[in-house]
Amino acid sequence: MQTHAIEFDSIKRHSSAEADGPVEASLHVEGLNLFYDQSAQALYDINLEIPKRRVTAFIGPSGCGKSSLLRCFNRMNDLVDGCLVKGKLRLEGDDIYAPNVDVAGLRRRIGMVFQKPNPFPKSIYENVAYGLRIQGINKKRVLDEVVEKSLRASALWDEVKDRLNDSALGLSGGQQQRLVIARTVAVEPEVLLLDEPASALDPISTLKIEELIYELKSRYTIVIVTHNMQQAARVSDMTAFMYMGKLIEYDSTDRLFTNPKQKQTEDYITGRYG
Amino acid sequence: MDTQAVGSLQSKKNPGPLAWVKSGEPMIWINAAAVSLSVIAVVGLMALLAVRGFSHFWPKDVLLANVSYENNVRPILGEIVEVVEVPRQQLEEAGFTLKGSEDFFQRTLLKQGNRDFLGSDFVWLINEQLDTPQYSANAMVIERLEWGNFYGYLKSVTRDGVLIADAQENERGAWEVFQSVIADTLAVREAIHTIERGDIGRINYEMERLRLEERSLELSGSLDASAQVALASERAELDAQYKVLQEQLYALYDGIANHSYTAILADGREVSLPIAKVVRAYQPNGMNVADKLAMYAQRLWEFLSDEPREANTEGGIFPAMFGTVMMVILMAIIVTPFGVVAAVYLREYARQGLVTRIIRVAVNNLAGVPSIVYGVFGLGFFVYFLGGELDQLFFPAALPNPTFGTPGLMWASLTLALLTLPVVIVATEEGLARIPKSVREGSLALGATRAETLWRVVLPMATPAMMTGLILAVARAAGEVAPLMLVGVVKLAPSLPLDGNYPFIHLDQKFMHLGFHIYDVGFQSPNVEAARPLVYATALLLVIIIALLNLAAVTLRNRLRERYKSLEV
Amino acid sequence: MLHQDSYKQHISGQFNAELEAVKNHLLEMGGKVEQQIARAVESLLKRDSGEATQVIAGDQEVNDMEVRIDEECSRILARRQPAASDLRLVIAIAKVTTDLERIGDEATKIARQAVKLSEEGKSPSSFLEARHIGSHVAAMLRKALDAFARLDVDMAVEVVIQDAEVDSEYGTAMRSLVTFMMEDPRTISPVLNEMWALRSLERIGDHASNIAEQVIYLVKGMDVRHIEPAQLQAQMQSSGE
Repeated sequence: MQTHAIEFDSIKRHSSAEADGPVEASLHVEGLNLFYDQSAQALYDINLEIPKRRVTAFIGPSGCGKSSLLRCFNRMNDLVDGCLVKGKLRLEGDDIYAPNVDVAGLRRRIGMVFQKPNPFPKSIYENVAYGLRIQGINKKRVLDEVVEKSLRASALWDEVKDRLNDSALGLSGGQQQRLVIARTVAVEPEVLLLDEPASALDPISTLKIEELIYELKSRYTIVIVTHNMQQAARVSDMTAFMYMGKLIEYDSTDRLFTNPKQKQTEDYITGRYG
Repeated sequence: MDTQAVGSLQSKKNPGPLAWVKSGEPMIWINAAAVSLSVIAVVGLMALLAVRGFSHFWPKDVLLANVSYENNVRPILGEIVEVVEVPRQQLEEAGFTLKGSEDFFQRTLLKQGNRDFLGSDFVWLINEQLDTPQYSANAMVIERLEWGNFYGYLKSVTRDGVLIADAQENERGAWEVFQSVIADTLAVREAIHTIERGDIGRINYEMERLRLEERSLELSGSLDASAQVALASERAELDAQYKVLQEQLYALYDGIANHSYTAILADGREVSLPIAKVVRAYQPNGMNVADKLAMYAQRLWEFLSDEPREANTEGGIFPAMFGTVMMVILMAIIVTPFGVVAAVYLREYARQGLVTRIIRVAVNNLAGVPSIVYGVFGLGFFVYFLGGELDQLFFPAALPNPTFGTPGLMWASLTLALLTLPVVIVATEEGLARIPKSVREGSLALGATRAETLWRVVLPMATPAMMTGLILAVARAAGEVAPLMLVGVVKLAPSLPLDGNYPFIHLDQKFMHLGFHIYDVGFQSPNVEAARPLVYATALLLVIIIALLNLAAVTLRNRLRERYKSLEV
Repeated sequence: MLHQDSYKQHISGQFNAELEAVKNHLLEMGGKVEQQIARAVESLLKRDSGEATQVIAGDQEVNDMEVRIDEECSRILARRQPAASDLRLVIAIAKVTTDLERIGDEATKIARQAVKLSEEGKSPSSFLEARHIGSHVAAMLRKALDAFARLDVDMAVEVVIQDAEVDSEYGTAMRSLVTFMMEDPRTISPVLNEMWALRSLERIGDHASNIAEQVIYLVKGMDVRHIEPAQLQAQMQSSGE
């Protein structure tokens, strides 16, 4: 099985984003195999490195394992009965699957946003403050500050500042999704995992989310799973193409979308019969 | 325009019966019919209960008529309860000699009261035996504490053995004097009641506590002289207080003992009766509608707020109402946490597999077990086993008198909680299952633990479902009678399970229940005819109470649902 | 690797048809341009002003074809957002049309020189060079278009290499024509006309070479525009493995 080490210069050379400073890896994956059952293997020998403060997109057909891979990073797969992870995953050198890892703490370092906007049935303010309250932070002054900062960071502040105490369920789908991002950003994670964050939204909301991703990448490492290839092409610096649980190709987005090396990638992104 | 295309939209076939069936319209009619039937059934039931029950409190006119049968004429005074038509044959078989030649005869049920003088309150009369009834304005009805209603005419009123008014001299004046004496007497009775229930009740309670203290000291072997002295002094103090109260009571009793009234019965007999036993006296024939309405409200209020008397056939049903509500509330307090915790475990923590499936089937089957079985279980397990053990452990001083080892409020509530547990579990589980996975994941992804997620997000969102479960549980529990007969309900409880004596809620006491009250009044009372309206009224009240409890829960649930509405997709 | 049928395998049949259509239109345009060159050279050699005039008129058709193909390309870009090889195909077609249009222009220029030559009469040159270079670049163009149609990189590389030959032939021809002018200054005017025609032929060779480079970009995704032919060959060999 071939390994896909990142040619990080390629990001600088090909990426439309300005390359500021050297690019390091944030997440390392080595020889990852994921089983949902003894017999059902979901991921086969995945090796890759996710660059820090860049956007990395996972694309591939449904059921190719891209969401499963994403959920390995914050151990969301732990919730699935009978799920078994083999191989090494590291966040800044720390083993994610070490036996003594505090999973809740890990999830605060690696935030996640889901496909469907899933605000809690609470006020907008309480949604954003949720992560902090979980950590036992209840000081109003601190919470106010974080809520405002997070809502500003997710470009929602101007739309909701006058109705922070209204139910979050009254927001539109796009606003809800940005609220969820604000909620995730509020706990100051290092990595943001986005699992098809715009697939339930209309095109304008989608563009707003994409713009937000572009702004957030100066501070967070972002990994996005998407069905929408154009979206991956628009927002990401690196793109990984997965098929049938295998990582087929991992390269800078510019190269993957103009001149992919693997025929499977080519067929997928140009919409051919695989 | 293409005319053929337009034409094809219109049905070419003749609308035969088959087409009508195919159109789906019969289904709509069947649905409508089913709904109408249900509505009619419910409305009819409520109307029947309301009419039969609440007309009882309306002061009916009193008629005077002569009954002549086989050359035997006697005057009779009373109110009409109902009129039925019976076939001739039935009457002849019963041994009546009939004058008329019709096939059917009207028969009237007349409430004549005066059980102490006439033997029975009710009498069936064949209408042909009656002459034209007269409605005399001064015919009087007296509700009494004993012997049922009195029907007659007032002759005179005596206060403290002194004649103070005579109706033959001044009819109106005598009646007013009579009413004022009744009012005074009632006030005194109220005072007596307060002393007996309140102060003497407290003293009795204290005495009992002292007795138990002494007994427990004795059991633990530390009943020494000093303790005995202390107990004796406390007891002496209580005795002294009791003496004072008793003196007061005697004085009060004596104060009203010699008030009496003399009345004339329909047959001309003159009787003298104590005013102390009078609840109220009125002359219905002389009352206008406003007076009657006031009387109606007064009697209805008495029904709702008073204790029953005369073997539950008279008076109010307040203790039964109170007991029912109290028991249901206690049951809800017990069953909700249990059911929710069980459902949360089954749905959130337990590994889904064969074992959880079996448990679920078992829980669902529990819902189908006949309630009397729960009663038996409650009696055997809760009352005799648990209660017995509790008595051994915590109340050895009271033995051999059982404290919790006998049917009581707590065991009744527990038994009903057990009975309604499946409903709450199933409803809560369904509510938990309906909460989208994404919301839980959202919370977990923010670094919340499972418990935090459950407590902060999942449970609040499941509250409408829990309320639904609770509504069903309350509806079922409030209507249950059979198991309660075994585990705590009695036909007459001496005191309410909630009062001013520590510990205020007396979980070990027996209590009264509307459902059982209906059964008792309707089928076990010595005077079924007199009690029948009360059965209807009580049934209606039971329905209303259940509806109110449900309404409260439904309102609460809808408010909660509104909060989480847009999350339900 | 990319092959001719690659463009018939899209899940969207409509997309297949669109790509096929634009590709065919391009080849059609190529055919037209080839014809223009052949007729222009012919008119030059025969000093046939009638033929030449027809060639000049024919350029309008070539221009129209370019506009149409460009429109098709922008439509595909806007509506299909092609990626990878599809994207390269559309970009290559857009660029190749530009080259073809320029070739068409050069053919017109040759035809104009033919008209002038027919008016001015005698020329000392036998037009041997023009005949030779003309047939050479026509072959190059045909080869480049064939390479495009077949997605044949080897053929495209040959075209790029041949362009160097054309350039050297052009140099030789220039020198011999300059000799004519030096010998007899009266011939300066017709010889200059011939030189202009030759220059146009040489430019056609360059454009054919550009087309071949687009074929390499299309198939290999490599930009080889500013690489020496020798280096190119070496690269092709290394990437071919």
